[in-house]
Amino acid sequence: MTVPAIRVQGLVRDFPKVRALDHLSFDVPAGIVFGFLGPNGAGKTTVIRVLLGLVNPTEGRTEVFGVDPRTGGEQVRQHAGALLEHNGVYERLTALQNLDFFGRAWHMSSGDRAARIRELLSQFGLWERRDESVGGWSRGMKQKLAVARAVLHRPRLVFLDEPTAGLDPVASASLRDDLARLAQQEGVTIFLTTHNLAEAERLCSLVGVIRRGQLLDFGTPAELRSARGAPIVRIGGRGLTDEVVQGLALTPGVGGVERDREEIRVQLVPGADVGAIVAWLVGAGVAIEEVRRDRASFEDVFLELVSSEGDKAPGVTR
Amino acid sequence: MMHDVWTVARKEWLEIFDQLLRFKRGGWSILLIIAFLGVISPLQLGTSWLSSPLMFFYWPLLTTSMTSTLIADSIAGERERHTLETLLASRLSDTAIILGKILAAVMYGFAFAATNLLIGWTVVNLKHGHGELLTIPAPRVAALLSLILGGSFFISGIGVFVSLRAATVRQAQQTFGVIILLLMMAPVIFAQFVAPERQANIISRASELGLETLSLRVAGGLGALALALNVAAIRRFKRGAVVLD
Repeated sequence: MTVPAIRVQGLVRDFPKVRALDHLSFDVPAGIVFGFLGPNGAGKTTVIRVLLGLVNPTEGRTEVFGVDPRTGGEQVRQHAGALLEHNGVYERLTALQNLDFFGRAWHMSSGDRAARIRELLSQFGLWERRDESVGGWSRGMKQKLAVARAVLHRPRLVFLDEPTAGLDPVASASLRDDLARLAQQEGVTIFLTTHNLAEAERLCSLVGVIRRGQLLDFGTPAELRSARGAPIVRIGGRGLTDEVVQGLALTPGVGGVERDREEIRVQLVPGADVGAIVAWLVGAGVAIEEVRRDRASFEDVFLELVSSEGDKAPGVTR
Repeated sequence: MMHDVWTVARKEWLEIFDQLLRFKRGGWSILLIIAFLGVISPLQLGTSWLSSPLMFFYWPLLTTSMTSTLIADSIAGERERHTLETLLASRLSDTAIILGKILAAVMYGFAFAATNLLIGWTVVNLKHGHGELLTIPAPRVAALLSLILGGSFFISGIGVFVSLRAATVRQAQQTFGVIILLLMMAPVIFAQFVAPERQANIISRASELGLETLSLRVAGGLGALALALNVAAIRRFKRGAVVLD
């Protein structure tokens, strides 16, 4: 049986006034991009700290490639790279000096270090500016440098804590492409936390949703959408008045109706007959121009998960 | 281990020399100190600069103050600039991080004093040598350098504790300033509680030892204290506590 990159079993971490992690359990297979999603304060960063051996759990057990970070923290960190909450770049040093320091810390040979630094800085478009102090760089450039630092020593596992936070859309897209390329080319396991759900859906082959330290759902983005997102029909046409919308909401098979600009978004209950709904609208005088089936977006699924108060999500795959 | 200690110390030096070369963070004041202690003072004192007992007071004091500025920044600075957690997430051990930072601060102070001494000695020779090589007696140099090294290690041992606890560099420097003041006042405070006869006895015994021997003994004592402080600092430096602080 293959050892998962990460194994978390019954993980609890208490702080003086709050339980940050509440019996978390999940496995992350090696060689994938795993997305860990949740609102601020959900416990994402604490999980990374525990997995890196920076913070000990109160209860439960974690393993990184079969090693317990509590007792083998140095061994875990030897094979891991991290971009944490802050980019952690030394602003007084140049890009070259930043990477050289961490290359030395990971005992890379002089030749390997120089070649790898050149490769990564070129890949991230920073080679020409390698001798500049990074203090004057833009946030996006620093973030790219921090990603380069995280993968410098060719780790088996990389933790990226909100790598695109605070970046403009262009810089985010560019960094996202770089991450996808790195994951494919380097074959590393990436543990990614993000608020950007489109990013998670695009990059991650597996996601976990956490809120108040509890795992709410776990699976592929498609599984989460199909398990949670009710089928939707979008209907466009003339005559979609407020009265029609209110009347449609009371029709059998309709779970809810929302206006979305020039069309309506009809949430269907299981077994609903779309033909009957369309017929009802025609009967109400609506001149229908377009009917198309849709599913709830990943963002809808995420919001549904994290906004429901106090419940434990059913069907959590652990 | 030594490779990792050296890696951390090297990074510290790169950071401080970048600041000095840009004349930020005390760059100008260091040039002024070199001008005064390395050039003006030897020019004024002439050959007596080589044998002045004051050497045993102001060189260690100066080195200590240079070391203290760097060591106060060691952990608190990393915390303030949000680089500490990334450093702790690296494969560097706690011991390597602490020892690397102490080594950087000690060597910085020591190198500064040694450079100043060398400049001063060169100035005295150029101005007053008259073709003859004037030297400082070897035991005196050895005693002075030992005192400088012992003092630097001692201050670094205290400084790393202060820096571990402080949230910001400013806070670390303020706390450290108070501690250094108390240490400087220690002989005065000590004198309050010791009878005059006993004080006279201590001074007489110190005089009998001679400046060089006394300095070597003080340096040894400071070195032993520094060692104990450094071991305690390594034990105190626990990643979890530092991250959550």
